[in-house]
Amino acid sequence: MPALLEIRGLSAGLQGRRAITQVISQIDLDVQAGEILGVVGESGCGKSTLATAIMRLLVPPQVLQSGSIRLRLAAGETVDLLAISESELRALRWRHLSYIPQGSMNSLNPVLRVGRQMMDTLIQHGLTSGEARARAIEALELVNLERKLLDSYPHELSGGMRQRVIIAAAVSMRPALIVADELTTALDVVTQRQILQELAAIRDELGATILLITHDMGVVAQIADRVAVMYAGKIAELGSVHGIFEAPRHPYSQGLIGSIPRASGQRVEGLPGEAPSPWNYPAGCRFHPRCPKVFDLCREHAPELMRQDSGRWAACHLYDDEVAAHA
Amino acid sequence: MATDSATRAIKTDENRDAAGRREIYLYALRRFGVYLFTLWAAITVAFFIFRLVPGDPMNILLGNLTRAEGRQRDKAAEEAIIAQYRQIFGMDDPLPIQYLNYLRKAVLGGLDLGPSFVEYPAQTKDLVFRRMPWTIGIFTTSVLLAWIAGTGLGALIGWLQRSRLSRLAVVLSTLLQITPVYLVALALIIYVGYSWRLLPAGGPYARHLQPAWTWEFISSLLTHAILPMLSNIIVIGAGFTLGMRALMISVLGEDYLTFARAKGLSPFTVLKDYAFRNALIPQVTALAIIVGATLNGTFIIEVLFQLPGLGTLFVQAMGLRDFNTMQAVVLFSIFAVLTLTLIVDLALPLLDPRVRRTA
Repeated sequence: MPALLEIRGLSAGLQGRRAITQVISQIDLDVQAGEILGVVGESGCGKSTLATAIMRLLVPPQVLQSGSIRLRLAAGETVDLLAISESELRALRWRHLSYIPQGSMNSLNPVLRVGRQMMDTLIQHGLTSGEARARAIEALELVNLERKLLDSYPHELSGGMRQRVIIAAAVSMRPALIVADELTTALDVVTQRQILQELAAIRDELGATILLITHDMGVVAQIADRVAVMYAGKIAELGSVHGIFEAPRHPYSQGLIGSIPRASGQRVEGLPGEAPSPWNYPAGCRFHPRCPKVFDLCREHAPELMRQDSGRWAACHLYDDEVAAHA
Repeated sequence: MATDSATRAIKTDENRDAAGRREIYLYALRRFGVYLFTLWAAITVAFFIFRLVPGDPMNILLGNLTRAEGRQRDKAAEEAIIAQYRQIFGMDDPLPIQYLNYLRKAVLGGLDLGPSFVEYPAQTKDLVFRRMPWTIGIFTTSVLLAWIAGTGLGALIGWLQRSRLSRLAVVLSTLLQITPVYLVALALIIYVGYSWRLLPAGGPYARHLQPAWTWEFISSLLTHAILPMLSNIIVIGAGFTLGMRALMISVLGEDYLTFARAKGLSPFTVLKDYAFRNALIPQVTALAIIVGATLNGTFIIEVLFQLPGLGTLFVQAMGLRDFNTMQAVVLFSIFAVLTLTLIVDLALPLLDPRVRRTA
């Protein structure tokens, strides 16, 4: 079965006065239909840039450098989201691909009622206002909100309710793909848990595919099927949640998993050092200055993301058979 | 459980509505109190400050009389005349008593602001009312037109912030905004009025006409109003343009704009309902603030274009130390500015749902 979303060679950066500083480099990623794929990484690793690039919402000084993002449409045809025109893309938005932005607290227009903001999009996509209202109510019910909220202004809602309204808006046209960026960051843990459960229920009910961007390993463990670990603008490791949590391959993933507090009272091991910013990505493997298993090759050559066993991919020379053969 | 909390939130909303209404009444009351206090303070300052200006209106009055009669009087007769006028104007009382009398007449005497010194026995109130339509007409129309044009243009160049046209517009409006309004007015008078003879450069209407409801008179009135209003519109409008542009640019960076684009709304809807609606709120406040500052400019424009408005009246009264008239003009300008500001302030809740509750 071909992937729902195929990202190939995606690079994006920040336009400076003279040159572009690359933030994400040559990302290859497949998102399978029906899965929840978590993308995790530290702040500044480029995961939000990845999300905005997929949504084609980069604004200057952010610039797209190269790559293709093929989305499979219902009819079986595929489109390259980066190659089509603005108006073609507008027609696809919300029907085929939705976005739950970072900062959902401020993502509702403060001067329009919630109902108007949910329905204007639906009406723009060709629904009558009656149909749009019915759809909006249906979507609110999916996230356990009452239809009364349609007549509220955003400032009358709590943070959790606003987040739910955003989710309801994003699923109101039953899109195939939802890109959710830091969905639960600004919420308390109880609300966080409820919202994640609702999101998982929506996936089951609508058969949607979700790309979930987060820095929170706990969120990934709770609802994702697969996880992509990002480090300094590249994917370090990709695999099933179980596989990666039980036996991380990449030394960075190992460090991340090791830094999760455990109930057994074991001492938490943090990663030494700091993540590099796009202005000083190291040569070779970008993780090598912090890597406990670094060797000479890592300082010169960047490892490719290579297929391991059973759907696991890792970008590390430790698992490079050719290197192992030479060593 | 999530449904429960949502229902509860809506119930407490109703209680909050009642409290919100009470707060709005209190706010309006407080706002009105400030309005009255400011008016009083303005009268008081105007009363005392003009009397500190050197020069005695009586001497000027006497000089006018002498010139009118064409002959010199003897000292005793002059002193008798001055004494009589001082009595009529109540100027023999100590200053605090004069002040209290003035206030009493103004408040209890149905806006009796005393007679004009120089046009005695004309009442200053009547002088001001006769001149006011010119000032209000030119001032309100040009400020409103400038606001509409500046808001529209500013929204547009903010929206197209990275285009070359937009950058050019920014440079132009910055230049115009810092130009004093009298320079713009002079340039218009010199070029449009005299060199190119496109429009009348001064006066309220053509000299040979008498005020009447005829097409000829009204069109003459309007063509004479174009240049004075244009001077105001150019300078004030440039300021509004720059302000609105800055507001648009900051709104364009908001999360709800990104979300609106992600929803697949047409650029026009994003511009109209998401960017413009939000940038408009502080722009309306800017209108209230600018109203006060631009009235002075209008006075200068009246003098330059020889229009019989409050500005010209004030300049005449100033030259003759006609305290009563000066006070009346100040009082009416401040009244006009404060009232416009009050209207704008009370209109804000209509635009911003957040103010409705927290005001």
